Amino acid sequence: MTAYLIRRLVTSLIVILGIALVTFLMTHIIAPSPGRAILGDRASRAAVNAFDNAHGYDRPVWVQFGSYLWQLVHGNLGYSYKLNQTVDSLIAENAPHSMWLSGISVFLSIVIAIPLGIFQAVKRNSVADQAITAAAFTAYSMPQNFLGILLIGFLAIQWHLFPAEASQSERIIPYIFAFHSNFLPIATLTITAVAGYSRYMRSAGLDALAQDYIRLARAKGLTEPTVLRRHLLRNAILPMVTLIGLSIPLLLAGNLVVEYLYNSHGLGLLFINELGNEDFPTVIALTLLGGIATVVGNFVADVALTVADPRIRIN
Amino acid sequence: MRAWIKGARAGAAVAAGALVLAACGSGTGSGGGGTGGGNTSAFNAPGGYGKLPTQSGTPKKGGIVTIAESPGAGPNYIFPITPAANESVYTIDQFQYYMWRPLWWAPQGATPTINFPQSIASAPAFSNNNKTITIHMKSGWKWSDGAPVTSKDVAFDLWLTKAAVKISPANDGNYTPGLYPDFITSIQTPNSTTVVLKVNKTYNQNFMFYNQLGQIVPLPAQAWSKTSASGATIPFANLANAEKIYKFLNAQSGKLATYATNPLWQVVDGPFKLKTFDPSTDANTLVANPAYGGPVKPKIAGIDNVAFTSTSAEFNQLLSGNLDVGFVDFSNLPQVNTLKAKGYNVWGYPDFGFSYIGYNFKDPTGDFNNIISQLYIRQALAHLQDEPAVIQSKGVFDGAAGAAYGPVPAVPKSPFAPANALTNPYPFSISAASNLLTSHGWKVVPGGTTTCQKPGTASNECGAGIPKGTALTWNLIYGNSPAVIGAQDEIWASNAKKVGITINLSSKTFNYIISNLSDVSNPSNDKIWAMQDFGGFTNSLYPTTNELFNTKGSFNFGGFSNPQIDKAIQNSISSLDNTAVQKEIGLVTAQQPGLFQPNADLVFAFKNTLSGPPASFADASQYQFSPEYWYFKK
Repeated sequence: MTAYLIRRLVTSLIVILGIALVTFLMTHIIAPSPGRAILGDRASRAAVNAFDNAHGYDRPVWVQFGSYLWQLVHGNLGYSYKLNQTVDSLIAENAPHSMWLSGISVFLSIVIAIPLGIFQAVKRNSVADQAITAAAFTAYSMPQNFLGILLIGFLAIQWHLFPAEASQSERIIPYIFAFHSNFLPIATLTITAVAGYSRYMRSAGLDALAQDYIRLARAKGLTEPTVLRRHLLRNAILPMVTLIGLSIPLLLAGNLVVEYLYNSHGLGLLFINELGNEDFPTVIALTLLGGIATVVGNFVADVALTVADPRIRIN
Repeated sequence: MRAWIKGARAGAAVAAGALVLAACGSGTGSGGGGTGGGNTSAFNAPGGYGKLPTQSGTPKKGGIVTIAESPGAGPNYIFPITPAANESVYTIDQFQYYMWRPLWWAPQGATPTINFPQSIASAPAFSNNNKTITIHMKSGWKWSDGAPVTSKDVAFDLWLTKAAVKISPANDGNYTPGLYPDFITSIQTPNSTTVVLKVNKTYNQNFMFYNQLGQIVPLPAQAWSKTSASGATIPFANLANAEKIYKFLNAQSGKLATYATNPLWQVVDGPFKLKTFDPSTDANTLVANPAYGGPVKPKIAGIDNVAFTSTSAEFNQLLSGNLDVGFVDFSNLPQVNTLKAKGYNVWGYPDFGFSYIGYNFKDPTGDFNNIISQLYIRQALAHLQDEPAVIQSKGVFDGAAGAAYGPVPAVPKSPFAPANALTNPYPFSISAASNLLTSHGWKVVPGGTTTCQKPGTASNECGAGIPKGTALTWNLIYGNSPAVIGAQDEIWASNAKKVGITINLSSKTFNYIISNLSDVSNPSNDKIWAMQDFGGFTNSLYPTTNELFNTKGSFNFGGFSNPQIDKAIQNSISSLDNTAVQKEIGLVTAQQPGLFQPNADLVFAFKNTLSGPPASFADASQYQFSPEYWYFKK
């Protein structure tokens, strides 16, 4: 296990370095001199040259990359010349809100989807199962953007039940407790996630229900709730463990559509905006962060699986 | 959003020379008081959208006006000498100017000219062949710490700007090497209200005044002339000290989280003071400055500048009634009636600028360089543009745009507009375009491919360098955002096909175009584009096209060259002729170095509980808000 962990760690570092290199090269190939884009169409050539020189864009690419890695080693993600802040500050300001929205939505999705999926599996082909399936398919196939627009249109603008935008609190604690303000963005994220997760859970539940150990448990005379809790749930939940692990990057990647629709400033929108601004330090740092979160998510999912299912062993 | 938001500081400030003012007079509906007037008809003219709020009701003291910021475009630099990277109307006009006023204020409502009643100084006096400029400041203006705004504060700004551009030309967004502040050779302050500047040579006084000196923003020397937060003030009138002071203030401006708490930024001469600033969104709140020395003290208690992630989010807040002032994106124009039903006045007007398709006079592909050099070709292309139809088209502007036939648009009407800027010299006419081609030796094939039949340089022949059989087929690369750029280019290309001209359209990002196609210093791409359209520019109040259409212009990316225009531009900058720029613009409009297009309106929604002089709302079309004139109705 220890050797496996070390191997995974080394591989992960190589992957992250690769992500940094590829992102860095791509951005510099697309726009080797971002001075013009940053300073605007009427900036003098002298100003553009001075800008490129001040930020090292007139040096060879490999020198720039080496310098960037050196910064990273020292915990410095760079400076956003467009936003007049360090990238570290930008991430620190935007990450908590993104993480909360994503985290609470993933949590609620799991809490709702697991019993829902089990219920559907047990009540397979009943009216309730078919109604939930229809609702899930509708929600799953509906673009998140459209769902958000519907929720805002009816619940916020038409009936005034909730505000049309997320909490505008700068600090994270008041933001977390602004349940009323954040209801619609959380609902938008949760509804689409529940639709997906519940289908996985229903399918895994059906597989487990067909297994001999379920029949044996029932034959032993265990009550139905005990059969479902001890034997069905534990076995059917394994695919969910993988899904949950893979959702970890979402915590940092932000939720572009929800941030866009509900006026919630977060990492997703920051990334898109700064991509358009050719704000390389911010773009590269966020890509790197996304890469790290993906690697970590995969790793956590693998380890969690071995813990959840003793039949799985890592070599 | 238009792609030409840069350069706002020069475009938003500035004053007028005495002669020009005498000639142009009080051309707005503002009754001489600029924003103080009440005539809305001038702003509800063609080119405008909707109706401007009228002044009504009894003013109520207090209240916070909520104003929407543009998505992703909040202010992020507080020190008024703004680097090019941070320069935008959102940082300068809609943030800094609440706190620090330029020496000369503009506009007058929607009219791009100086507003003297709101200015800190009267018109400067020019002498010694315009090489000596004397500025007289008004009394009564004071800083919020009680100190008067004096000539020393003007000199402080000038010295710091000199220091800033010496450290890096990118430190001032409006800096052009050799011009402001380089040309200032002497700064004297004989008394507390007089500044005397000497410049290195003769410049046109309107150019100097409207285009250059308008960048001056008095800064509080008594509070800011220092190199550390706790240090004492030091003399600033030498470059060594000025550089140290600039570096300190620039560094302070990099600390966004301290904007609202840093004592430096609390010393203001504008109508509002910063109360809160959120560095993660750039949202901010301001409160009325009781010490404001301008003509009208704020009646409202303050402003809440609300940040948005998208136009959808902002529009939803308008529909919910949670904003007092917000913009209306083109995509939301079909819902304007809903907004009105929710209690908003909706009004739009173009800013002072122009949109155009740039021609590449250096592209030899298909002999385009030789073809486009022919004036009759450019005239024919202008005749193929149906501006009224494009403006009214639901798929393009939906009525929210003003006509423009040259670099000075028809609306808003500039004091410097020549006659041909107001009446289309090349109105839409397929037959006129066809006749121009036919009369110059082209065989016009409507819907097909028009070719040159008579090569040669005679007046009835195609022109120099155009071989027989040459087809009129070119490419046009346009910016993919906003969508109106591509939509109107498609209509133009469709009209061109009616006289056998094929224009192949493709889209790129704004950044791609200005970094790769519009970069004069990067000629390697000159052969890959015949025409380009990234949007346009916001004009300075003095709209010389020096950078764009001068043969040696720093942004003459298409390589246009016309000796007559070069001379006219030279006159606009350095002659004593106060009508020089009108002559220049008249020539450029006639010569059509690019295809000038309609000017999009900036459309706003104003809640009807808010009132004030109509011109104070009309300011918004020129990117300025004047909430000190606004009040909530009882």
